[in-house]
Amino acid sequence: MQIKEVEHIKKLRNKYLASQKKFPRKVMVCCGTGCLANGAGKIVDAFTDALDKREIKHFAVEAIKETGCHGFCEQGPLVIIEPSGTFYTKVKTKDVDKIIEQSIERNEVIESLLFAEPKSGEKIEKYGDVDFFKHQHRLALRNLGKISADSIIEYISVGGYKAFAKAVTTMKPDEIIDEIVASGLRGRGGGGFPAGRKWRTCREAAADTKYVVCNGDEGDPGAFMDRSIMEGDPHAVLEGMMIAAFAVGADQGYIYVRDEYPLATTHLQKAIEDCQESGLLGENILGKDFSFSIKIARGAGAFVCGESSALMRSIAGEIGEPRAKYVRSVIKGLYDQPTVLNNVETYVNVPLIIDKGSSWFKGIGTEKSSGTKVFSLVGKVRNTGLIEVGMGTTLREIIFDIGDGIIDNRPFKAVQTGGPSGGCLPAEHLDLPVDFDTLTEVGSMMGSGGMIVMDDKTCMVDVAQYFLGFLVEESCGKCVPCREGLFQLHKLITRICEGKGEEGDLEKMEHLSQTVLTASLCGLGTSGPNPLLSTIKYFREEYEAHIRDKKCPAGVCKSLIKYEINDKCTGCMACIPACGYDAITGEKKKIHILDQDKCTKCGACYAVCKFEAIDVS
Amino acid sequence: MKNRFIVNPVLCTGCRTCELACSFAHSVDGQMGRSRIYPLDGGMTDLWVPVTCLQCEEAACVKSCLVNALRRNPDTGAIELNEDICVKCMACIAACPFGCALHDTQHDLIIKCDLCGGDPACAKFCPTKALEYKPFETKKKKLAG
Amino acid sequence: MVNITINGKTAQAKEGEMLLSVIRRLKIDVPALCHHEAVEPLGACRLCMVEITKTEWDGWSKFVTSCLYPVEPDLIVSTHSDQVNEIRRTIMDLYLARHPNSPEIRKLAEEYGVLKTSYEVQVDGDNCILCGICTRICDAMGFHAISLVGRGHGKTVAPPLNEAPPDCTGCLSCALNCPTNFIEFSDQDDKRTIWNKEFEMLACVKCGATTITREFAEHLSKNRDIPFEYFETCDSCHRKETSLTMGRIAAWTKEAQS
Repeated sequence: MQIKEVEHIKKLRNKYLASQKKFPRKVMVCCGTGCLANGAGKIVDAFTDALDKREIKHFAVEAIKETGCHGFCEQGPLVIIEPSGTFYTKVKTKDVDKIIEQSIERNEVIESLLFAEPKSGEKIEKYGDVDFFKHQHRLALRNLGKISADSIIEYISVGGYKAFAKAVTTMKPDEIIDEIVASGLRGRGGGGFPAGRKWRTCREAAADTKYVVCNGDEGDPGAFMDRSIMEGDPHAVLEGMMIAAFAVGADQGYIYVRDEYPLATTHLQKAIEDCQESGLLGENILGKDFSFSIKIARGAGAFVCGESSALMRSIAGEIGEPRAKYVRSVIKGLYDQPTVLNNVETYVNVPLIIDKGSSWFKGIGTEKSSGTKVFSLVGKVRNTGLIEVGMGTTLREIIFDIGDGIIDNRPFKAVQTGGPSGGCLPAEHLDLPVDFDTLTEVGSMMGSGGMIVMDDKTCMVDVAQYFLGFLVEESCGKCVPCREGLFQLHKLITRICEGKGEEGDLEKMEHLSQTVLTASLCGLGTSGPNPLLSTIKYFREEYEAHIRDKKCPAGVCKSLIKYEINDKCTGCMACIPACGYDAITGEKKKIHILDQDKCTKCGACYAVCKFEAIDVS
Repeated sequence: MKNRFIVNPVLCTGCRTCELACSFAHSVDGQMGRSRIYPLDGGMTDLWVPVTCLQCEEAACVKSCLVNALRRNPDTGAIELNEDICVKCMACIAACPFGCALHDTQHDLIIKCDLCGGDPACAKFCPTKALEYKPFETKKKKLAG
Repeated sequence: MVNITINGKTAQAKEGEMLLSVIRRLKIDVPALCHHEAVEPLGACRLCMVEITKTEWDGWSKFVTSCLYPVEPDLIVSTHSDQVNEIRRTIMDLYLARHPNSPEIRKLAEEYGVLKTSYEVQVDGDNCILCGICTRICDAMGFHAISLVGRGHGKTVAPPLNEAPPDCTGCLSCALNCPTNFIEFSDQDDKRTIWNKEFEMLACVKCGATTITREFAEHLSKNRDIPFEYFETCDSCHRKETSLTMGRIAAWTKEAQS
């Protein structure tokens, strides 16, 4: 398959679409990392085996698509029957025959495999009608679940490389940059810097060699936005980078992927090879005076390597530590050459902007933050997963409409946004529109899109302690405020969690945080105290309870809580074997006794008790 | 015409004024520094040789310095040591075949003659003109005559 | 030339020069523990932070590490503003918690009024402040014998695999430039030991005095095109040789002139 001119892309697309017409129904099996872990690979095998055994009219192996992640991983493996959009969750291999017989051969719906809304219990037939999906606005995730993840022809069949062809053959580099500037596209990695302005500076920088780099070193705990895109729509990443390279005049690109993402690496590698083979990467692309190639650089898993200067040093084979950048990387970046660095999500928006125009993109989202944003919605919400909404959507809409509210109808307490160096926002901020600027104003940030929802059983001191601990682990240790400052902050907050906090500790932490924020070398340090400061700001009384009353109101901090058996105990003896430390004794139908000296506060008894007979205080 | 540092052992009486001048000229925090010049026994009766850096064209000290702390001053022609860059590895001291890079143990500094930046104190105070700092051509003529 | 203002006084700087270099030229005392002129600035200790602003910044100012901030025209620099001093105090406070036994750290902390740390003292804290001067000098000299290993709070300076480093020549530059004298070595009986590696000191063929290790001399001779015999005589014996050689020339000249 050779693509030497724009016409070839169109021809390939039409030919492929025609070839697919012989399948009135297709089976889309989600093969993202989450679903694969749940056994999606076996589902695909089962479908293939089943087809070996029988012959079905108008259905063949080619109509089974191994797609990218839908984002609804906790319900996986997911199977969607197209074009009806019938949505099956938690599919097992034993269900495959049933699906073939009923849904493919007879176009019937299998009730038992349908998704039930957690709040109402109502079974929903089509995935577009599920609360989790229907409130979303999917641009960056446009192809996830819709096409075979690693197939170039499938990508082309949904309009892929159309934007690149348009850019290279009908636009001048400056026009492309004008378009990106006009779209208001801002960096999705967390910084929110206008992508167009970055590109322009790079284009104007005088140098023979320029680089386009894609940051796929997603390291926030619980976040998998970029992983899913790289796995499920690798060609969109490449297309965005190719447009950027043409616009700034770069001939070499790098995708920095963390090594914990093997599937992303495999799919990207295949995508790059397919592009090279077809001529979309290489010399004189589409017959124009434009040559570009892309290499994958694999990160070794240091969180700080997501920081731009550390990332570039890592690609260059040096130690992945940030360096102070009073000279910006668009002027002096990778190998000291002008470098455009954007993250995965930013690049996948680029083809859309070129294809549909900047005014279309500008029309989505808010005035200063156009477009959409992908979030990883996790924590105590009923629906967790990867979601994409227009900028300006409120936290309430995300948590209560898409997330379907808090598990067990418990009260909402806080939402942590922006990854480990973001902040925790309380209920009073639920109606804030989520965009780059509003969250920062109230002491958190949008970051790369982590969103952890917490209920009243979450201790905010414990949360801050966890994130500080993470940052202490991940600090590269180069500069003193971050290395020693975060370490001491973590020491102080750990003491508070252990009930050893003293009056003045909060003020001491606030004071030290100021120096860490101001004096640290890179973003890890200059945002590191955010989880601490935001929780002190909004949940000060909880800290004070830990320090003054030596109590953890949420019942989380082990040193400050006590498990006790109340008179609701029926003497069922379930808790006795559950306790691994022989702390509970008792006889049948008599209230059991808990030995506080032996109790390790592990919570095992609390978890097995069916009668609410265990109090945590 | 550039000045040259000229040593004439025949005129040297071994009075060691040059040593004193050098020490004063290179004082460290108000204390006298170690002299960069030493009048030594020339091996014959009444012959003294003030030994100091010859500012070699292709200097072993410069070659030996791995951090580039020794550089020639284009105005004076002297090889100067930048104390801030110097890492005190002693390579220059070991490399100089004339023994003219030295260790000031009192102040823990590596030192060598810098021609006092263009006005060498030793020459200025030499009572017998055994040390002179003057245009080279004069000397040439003198030799020729 | 670039004109800037430092603490109310105008100063001239070379284009591309770093602020710290201008500040030091003006003999203004700004502390820096990770700075050494032999190597590229690192910006790790953050003590050389200064506050900068410009008239057109409209009252806004920012804090930058002067060791790697290149001068800009019309920059207004405060090296000891209240906030800068506060940052330095806090950093010294943090240093003191980690290195309570380092005399150098204690002295500098005292200068900033920190006599006792506000934070949890690390009883087992050693005196290595992880400034990277040793490793950067070793790299600059072309040896790459030691390196910063690990990350975060557990970072250390070490040779590869913590074994005697094959690339070390025993030049001692790491130890001699350590701001807290942390790196241990011993010079005894013509033997030098550093990083658990033993070196033979090269003895003067005339008097037996020693200056550098044989390995270092061999490295210099081989890589810097210096005859090895230069290294075989110590500086003192070299001077004696020089005086005798020049004495012979002088005697000959004297004879020729008379």
